[in-house]
Amino acid sequence: MATDNIIKIKNVSFSYPESDAPAIDNISFNVKRGSWTSIIGHNGSGKSTIIRLINGLLVPDENGNPSIEVDGIKLTDDTVWEVRNRVGIVFQNPDNQFVGTTVADDVAFGLENRGIPHSEMVKIVPEAIKAVGMSEYTNAEPANLSGGQKQRVAIAGILAIKPKIIVLDEATSMLDPEGRNQILSIVKNMKEKYDLTVISITHDIDEANMADQVLVMNDGKLITQGSTKTVFSQVSLLKNIGLDVPFFEQIKEKLQQNAIKLPDNLDSEKELINYLCQLNSKM
Amino acid sequence: MSKILIGRYVAGDSIVYRMDPRGKLLATILFILFVFLANNPISYIIVTIFSLAAVAATKLKPKIFWDGVKPLIWLILFTSFLQLFFTVGGTVYWRWTIFALSSYGITNAIFIFIRFTVIILISTVMTVTTKPLEIADAIEWLLKPLKIIRVPVDKIALVMSIALRFVPTLFDETFKIMNAQRSRGADFNNGGLITRAKAITPLLVPLFINSLETAIDLSTAMESRGYRGDKGRTKFRVLKWSKVDLLNLGYFILLLGLLLLFRTQ
Repeated sequence: MATDNIIKIKNVSFSYPESDAPAIDNISFNVKRGSWTSIIGHNGSGKSTIIRLINGLLVPDENGNPSIEVDGIKLTDDTVWEVRNRVGIVFQNPDNQFVGTTVADDVAFGLENRGIPHSEMVKIVPEAIKAVGMSEYTNAEPANLSGGQKQRVAIAGILAIKPKIIVLDEATSMLDPEGRNQILSIVKNMKEKYDLTVISITHDIDEANMADQVLVMNDGKLITQGSTKTVFSQVSLLKNIGLDVPFFEQIKEKLQQNAIKLPDNLDSEKELINYLCQLNSKM
Repeated sequence: MSKILIGRYVAGDSIVYRMDPRGKLLATILFILFVFLANNPISYIIVTIFSLAAVAATKLKPKIFWDGVKPLIWLILFTSFLQLFFTVGGTVYWRWTIFALSSYGITNAIFIFIRFTVIILISTVMTVTTKPLEIADAIEWLLKPLKIIRVPVDKIALVMSIALRFVPTLFDETFKIMNAQRSRGADFNNGGLITRAKAITPLLVPLFINSLETAIDLSTAMESRGYRGDKGRTKFRVLKWSKVDLLNLGYFILLLGLLLLFRTQ
């Protein structure tokens, strides 16, 4: 079962009532269980809308017989709460998703909603807080926390309900570099530890580069998908729609512009460094 | 804002801090009712001693309580003044047109003064030793019987706790917007009443919009975390009665007994 698809999306379109153009235009893709998927695209390309469709916050347009399946459950009005039990989302603004008046209250919010008895909550909550390294802030109020700390609390709140999929909806975009790295390393650890599937919507190309699969969105359409290697080597395509490429691809491009011939199979920073060192010793 | 003590929590550690907020809220309400039982000098002395003992039990500086009384001092003095000169009866010492200074007037003025002051003192004891969140929990508990007449107590409680959680956030936001507008030339502190009221517009409009956006984001986040109304919800935060609370309520029952005992018909 390790390689099946945890999310299957077929022929999904979505238009916001107030706009003419569809925000999502006939999209189909799959996400493998236990993988890390990045969705990139410029502002307004429909990245966040996809997530809201997956956990039923938005309902896709009728035309084209759309189907959304999460962990084997087809998303309908009856199953939406089951689907939400399996998908935990960390949103962009750390301030606007903090429900509780203290860290512990916030982590417990998802458990309260699911009717978990108090005796179990007192065990789960401290564990989840500890997992994100916030134990000493258990009773702190949100006003006294940094943005990165609030996002860690949001992750703890998700871990507490033991989802199968964790979604980062531009979760690091309002954080400083240190906060961002902390969040990403926590999510990476959690992914290994609890065998989670990660979907990260991001502008940060280095964050996107952590993924197994990359989806590129433009104007509501899925324009390309594949491994980081296949997607990020399409430098001109990405540049056309206004996206960056990873630092390593930028260097490769600059070197090629300066007439330094590079073999095609350089896939990582390490290989590039090795190759350049070899080149240096030959000269 | 910092001058108003009502609703301000002062960190500290004493027996009063360890009391259950429900007990404190009940005791405060009961005390306000009990005070009206006092109708002679002995009972007023008892009430004063009891409330000063409660103040002492908080182990906080007297200045904090003075800060509590200060904003209302003019109301207290004004009421006492009216009692002093408009009460007729007993020995009349001095009379001028409608004003009269009588023995009844003097005792009544003193009683009113004490009554006001002790009520403020006891409410201050409650608010400075109890976190707003705990007060909200206590109010929720007191409202629970209203469930019978279909008052959505759980939802009211959630509204209260979210409101309390956003008070500091909105304050931060307000100051940020004020500074941003100041850096573009807005002036919040000068001019007459109308000029100042107009100056608030560039502060209020963004603040309202931000609050609405926050509300939308928050509701999305709550929904995706499984919130579906109060159906089947459990509570993480629970209050526990302890021996200290028996002491607290016993203290006020004792006060009630003494007041009834010394009450003159």
